[in-house]
Amino acid sequence: MNRKEFLSDCGKIGLTGVTLSLFPWLESCSDKTRQQTSGEKVRMGIIGTGSRGLFHIQHLLQMPNVEVVALCDNYLPHLDNASQYFPKAKRYDDYRKLLDDRNVECVIIATPLYLHAPMTIDAMEAGKDVFCEKSMAYTLDQALEVYNRRQQLGRVLLIGQQRLFDPKYIKAMQMIHQGVIGDVVGVRNYWYRNNDWRREVPSPELERHINWRLYSEYSRGLMTELACHQLQNGSWAMGMLPERVMGAGSLVHWKEDGRDVYDSVSAIFSYPNGVNMTFESIISNKHFGMGEQILGTKGTIDLVTAMHYTDEPAPRGSGIHQLIEQIEQGVMSNSVFAGTSWAAETSSLAAGRPIMQDVKVVSGESSVGAEADGSKELLEAFVNSVICGKQPEKVLEESYYATQYALLADKAMHEGAILTLDEKYKIPYEPLK
Amino acid sequence: MKDTIITAQMKRRELMLWLACFAVANVVNWVTIIKFATPWYEVFTQLGYVVVLSFVIYALIGMVRLAWWILNRTFRK
Repeated sequence: MNRKEFLSDCGKIGLTGVTLSLFPWLESCSDKTRQQTSGEKVRMGIIGTGSRGLFHIQHLLQMPNVEVVALCDNYLPHLDNASQYFPKAKRYDDYRKLLDDRNVECVIIATPLYLHAPMTIDAMEAGKDVFCEKSMAYTLDQALEVYNRRQQLGRVLLIGQQRLFDPKYIKAMQMIHQGVIGDVVGVRNYWYRNNDWRREVPSPELERHINWRLYSEYSRGLMTELACHQLQNGSWAMGMLPERVMGAGSLVHWKEDGRDVYDSVSAIFSYPNGVNMTFESIISNKHFGMGEQILGTKGTIDLVTAMHYTDEPAPRGSGIHQLIEQIEQGVMSNSVFAGTSWAAETSSLAAGRPIMQDVKVVSGESSVGAEADGSKELLEAFVNSVICGKQPEKVLEESYYATQYALLADKAMHEGAILTLDEKYKIPYEPLK
Repeated sequence: MKDTIITAQMKRRELMLWLACFAVANVVNWVTIIKFATPWYEVFTQLGYVVVLSFVIYALIGMVRLAWWILNRTFRK
């Protein structure tokens, strides 16, 4: 999907003044902003040219208003890969040297989690605008520090929470806020895969360098790598933040390869109105894939498939139709064996309705990224924001809390406790509603 | 084969019979509206079905009349 298609999709969902006031960060993708940034160019540096960095590079290659002038990675094969796309870009193996490069206006940070916060702060202090992959930080304190430094320095900072820019999510949230599914009474998130989550390692000493996701020294595992994306669904849908967090995690299958992050996690996020949001992830069974469902008193919206299922009875036919149906049932029914007096409460088989046309459904199976999941639009929003010198509204706060609650849930799992977010980590938050 | 003569009286009788069927079909529609609590505008919107139903009733009556005619003819012989 290119920008034109995104804007066209936004047209389908009605990217009007009302939508922009509800979801103000979309201003960075609006026609007005597009006109402002037309013909302008930003000089960008990429810190971290591994799989996710290369994923962004594929999008950057399609953006005429980006010039990649510097690349940085301390793993040479990754740097070489990226250099093929931008042979004129300067190469660095130390990100601080890249930050000293005055030709670089802004950076993409696609490095292991534990480096996100220090690199983001260093980059902002060096006067660069920053797009950093999620999660925002490795610890609760670091996330707060990043947020506070951004507020002080006034740089543009976006975190890789691409769902906020995905047209199907925007449309779904619009419907939820309009009350189409009634009151929100539950939020279900899950992400199942069946693979070891490993990358090929050319020599054993590079194991931790390449498979950093598997070690708690560098990553918080499934919570920061997967859950962080889905945890914003609850606050986006309900306009409030969780009050309490609890959960359990364990290594149930991939026990033998030395990793120390959980391969199976379940977490509950309880909201002040009593509604619970769940997140579950297992990486040794992929039957259910990825799912994000907002449950309301009148129906359900599946965010991943962009389908709306109603709990209300299907509209009945006219009186005559119903009479005919009754006669048919009378003729077809077995008069000897009447139907059961109860029915098991299995999942409803009612066919849902798509909330918009031509939806691109993402399976969640790729650990690098997926097309049409909002990533490109997020990147474009970042570039436009850099050109305009304007931080998109509200989006950083959403990213901040997604990170904080992912980290808090991880902490709750390790401590076996029910936790609340300490007051010191609370930042000004205006709900998306 | 001899010519069949349909008199004006026969035509009138069949027309009256179908009109009676149409009236019955309308009554059925009203009953279903009441029974299934559907909107009263179905009196008009379901007229197509009512017309079809009237022909169905007319055909059913026709079958009964045919049977009656066959029986009558058989016993007269």
